[in-house]
Parts: sequence; structure tokens; C-alpha cells
Amino acid sequence: MSNTHGMTPINSAIFGGSLRIQGEKKALTYQARATWQPRHRWRAFSSKLFKISTFLATLLAIAALIYLLHSIAGQGLERLSWDFITSFPSRFAAKAGIKAALWGSAYLTLLTAAIAVPIGVGAAVYLEEFAADSKLRRFVDINIANLAGVPSIVYGMLGLMLFVRLCNFGRSLIAGAATMSLLILPIIIVSAREALKTVPMGIRHAAFGLGATKWQTIRAHVLPAALPGILSGIILSLSRAVGETAPLLMIGALSYMAFLPESLQDAFTVLPIQIFNWSTRPQDEFHVAAAAGIIVLLALLLTVNALAILLRMRYQRKAQW
Amino acid sequence: MVTTNRGQPALFEPSPPYALEVNDINVCYGTSRAVLDLNLKVPEHTIVALIGPSGCGKSTLLRSMNRMNDFVTAAKVTGEVLFRGSNIYGKDADPVLLRRQIGMVFQKPNPFPTSIRKNITWGPSINGYQGNYDELIESSLRRAALWDEVAGKLGESGLALSGGQQQRLCIARAIAMDPDVILMDEPCSALDPGSTLKIENLLLELKERFTIVIVTHNMQQARRVSDYTAFMYQGELIEFGPTDGVFETPKQDLTRDYVSGRFG
Repeated sequence: MSNTHGMTPINSAIFGGSLRIQGEKKALTYQARATWQPRHRWRAFSSKLFKISTFLATLLAIAALIYLLHSIAGQGLERLSWDFITSFPSRFAAKAGIKAALWGSAYLTLLTAAIAVPIGVGAAVYLEEFAADSKLRRFVDINIANLAGVPSIVYGMLGLMLFVRLCNFGRSLIAGAATMSLLILPIIIVSAREALKTVPMGIRHAAFGLGATKWQTIRAHVLPAALPGILSGIILSLSRAVGETAPLLMIGALSYMAFLPESLQDAFTVLPIQIFNWSTRPQDEFHVAAAAGIIVLLALLLTVNALAILLRMRYQRKAQW
Repeated sequence: MVTTNRGQPALFEPSPPYALEVNDINVCYGTSRAVLDLNLKVPEHTIVALIGPSGCGKSTLLRSMNRMNDFVTAAKVTGEVLFRGSNIYGKDADPVLLRRQIGMVFQKPNPFPTSIRKNITWGPSINGYQGNYDELIESSLRRAALWDEVAGKLGESGLALSGGQQQRLCIARAIAMDPDVILMDEPCSALDPGSTLKIENLLLELKERFTIVIVTHNMQQARRVSDYTAFMYQGELIEFGPTDGVFETPKQDLTRDYVSGRFG
């Protein structure tokens, strides 16, 4: 930039454009006012129309749920009793119960949690806190999100090949739990990473500024702050595992079990499989039992989800920035 | 882009000993260079203010002094910063040990979401402090001019304090480590004038024991608290010298224009 106006360099740099700005102003002299067509009534009407259509969409979704609950309750509620929960299945529909399935579901869920939670949270911490931003990491990022969308039957095939056959676990509780762990790992990883992302960078910097190592920072500040989000992600993914049927059918969970599994190598069944089995029988009495089983399963799932919401609310109130 | 013929920067060599020596530091974010061939000597037990317009690289320079730039993925630092005679970017330098000696106070108050007590004690406890914690808490809070306000409620959350108190808690947290140098990145920019005044008075007392480097947007603040002032523009150090000299008889036209408020 030339320095011909006797200005200091910085002056000409910063104020030198003023002449040009005046030149542009001249070109922008105001023209006559344009005509406007507000079409206000049409805009107000279309806004209302939109509101009604979104309301209808909500109604439709809820109506389907209410219809489901109503028909299930009408069919199965009277079949529900303490005996139903504490009896093994039977070939006589009136005596059949869900003891084996309920305990199987409980064992399977706990075992799945024991496998999937440490691995999932560990992977999330690595990807979010340690891994450098490389091409490889971005590739892993995308594929974990993709894995969350893989149909569960595919995980069933994988479990059958990997755990039942290759690892020689057989059609056992441990094979089921390992398969379920694969299924929910992507969900746990994605939700735990989201929870870690919400922890403000300022907290990490404060800790590093005091001479903390990465692990000290993560353990003392980042993980506690992210815990509510991580927990609710875990619980929601476990509730998905409780409801899954296809992968367990694939690896060959039993549909008739008159005993409880006593070790990791024992055969097992779960609620959804028991329900599926009953609903495929020709006798109406078994359909009623299936409906009662669905009520128990739904109650279980709603309880678990409510727990997740409670946890989130409790900790969110505690941690505010 | 402004291209001006600035001539040689007006540099000044304060007398040793130095707490930090910055030699030919360059910091790049990807392809853009934030700090260019910068040299600066920070004498012990003084307050050095870094001033300059937004985006001139002063915060980047500050963060390169205790390797906080390590956490900015794209940042690449070349050159050396000498601390206690050794290069903090050297091969066997450990940034964790370094940050234990060179503390930091950030622009936005960032107390841990735990009790006031734990805010003070956490740093010392992970670094193997062997002394009495109650004494440490009291002396740190007293030196940060916060003790009288929080003495009865050390168990309460640090986040329950006001913004100015939170920032003094962050200063107390840094003091508790008994560092050699404290780096401050616009510590008063989020605070009201009353809290700012308290922190400025505090700085003047702290330099008895620590060396302080402070980035500030507020030229009056630089003038009130600092012994030396470094003026930066577009990543370069334009002028460095005793604060009175920089503000009253600047050697560079650019410095004069900035400190007289003609741009910024």
C-alpha cells in the first residue's frame, strides 16, 4: 500500500478504504418504494394447518401404542398371577409360567452389562479423550455409527459363528451374553462419547494446568461429569438387549426350559423367546399366556427406562456449569 | 491483509534472572501462522502484560509458555522456550511436570464442579503434597483475597460463588501449587469492575512470590499492574519494554496508534 497521504503505515492500512466506501454510497441512492404482497391471511392459515398436521402425527403414534396396550391388557391381564411368574413352562397352557424366561432375561442382561459396559465405556474414553484426530479415527467413528444400525439378526449370525462354534461356548448363556454385548456395544460407545463431549473443555484445561496427567483428569473430573449421560445410555441399551429376540433365536436359545441355568455354560431362554414360542402355538390358551408375558416384558422395559430418566434428572440438577 | 513496513521491532532486554525465555517461537494452526519468530524475556518476580488487538496471537503465545497448545490438535510450535535453563519443547521435557511449575488462570472462570476445599486440594494431592492441607487451603485463599468470603463454607460448591469469586478461587487453586510462574489469559474479561479491581490488587501482591504473565485487552489494566509490556500485532512482537515507556514514549508508530486507541 502506498503511503502518499502523510499517514503512518497503520493509518493508511486501516482508514485508507474510506474513499472507496464513499464512492459506493453514491451508487446506492434509494429507488422508489417497491410494492409488497404480505399475503398475511394465507401465511397465518398455513401455519395453523402445519400445527394441526403435526398434532395428527403425534396422535397417530400414540393411538397405535394405546391400541396395543389395550388389546394386550384385555387379553392377558386376567392370566397374570404370582403362579404365572413363578412356574416353569408346561405343555398345559393353564399351568404354564415364565419362571425360566424371566430369570434367563435377568441373567442375560446382567452378564451382557458386565461384558459390554467396561468395553464400551473404555472405547468411548479412548476415542474421545486419547485418540489423535487421524484418518483412521474418522474411519472408526463412521463405522461405529454404522454398526449401531446393523440388523440384529446379523449379530445373531456373527454370534453363532464366533461364540457358539469358534469359541465352542455352545448354545449357552455366555454365548448369548457375548452376542448381545456385540449388539449393544455401538450404542453404548456412541452415547458415552456424546456424554463425554458435553463436559466443558475448561474443566480439562483446569486440571491439565495443575499438572495432572490425562488419566488423572479423566478419572477425577471428566468421567464423574459425564456419568449421568453414560449411565442413561447404558440403561437404554440394556433395555434394548432385554427386548431383542432375533439374535438369540439365531444362536439357539431354548424355547422350552423346565429348569434354571446354573452356570455360564448352561442353556437358557428369555422372555421374548418364550412369548414368541407361545404365540406360534395353535391353542388360544397359549395366546393368552403370550399376552400376559408381553405385559411382564413391557412393565420390565418401562421400569428400566424410567430408571434411566430418573438418573439423568437427578444428576443433571447436581452438575451445572 | 495489511502490509506495512514496520522496520525492526523495538525490543528491550530486561536484566536477568529470567523466569522464561522465549526464543524464535513460531506457532501455526494448519497453514495460518499465529505467532511469528517471537523473542521475549520474562524477568523473575515481575508482571509482564501481553497486549494487542484481537487475533494478534497473544493468547497463543501465552499458551505456548506451558504447552497448553498441545491440546489444540492443529497447533504446531517450533522454536524454544527456556524455563529453568532447559527447553520446554526439548525431547525429554515432560509437559505434566512443566504445568505443575507454570500454572494457568483462564479467561472464563472454570472451578471444578466440586467443593471449594477440593478445588484447592486436588492439584496438590495428585502431585504428592506432603504438608498440612488445612493450612494450604487457608493460605492459598488468603493470598487470593477470598478467605474472608468463603471461610465458613469450604464444603460448598465452587460453582455457587459469584463470577469474581470463582476467578479468585481459580487463582487460589493455581497458587496452592506454589508454581514459579502463573500465566493469566484475560482473567478479568468476564468480571465486573469491582472484582477486576480486587484481582488487580491481588496481582501486585502475588509478584513478590511468583512471576506473572498476563494477557489483557484492557490497556488501562496493563498500565496499572504490569512492569513490562509486550505489544503484539498480527503474530509479531512489535514492541517490548518497561510499561511506562511503552505507553508514554512508544518507539514504534504501530504501538503509539494502538495505545492511544486509534485502532484495536
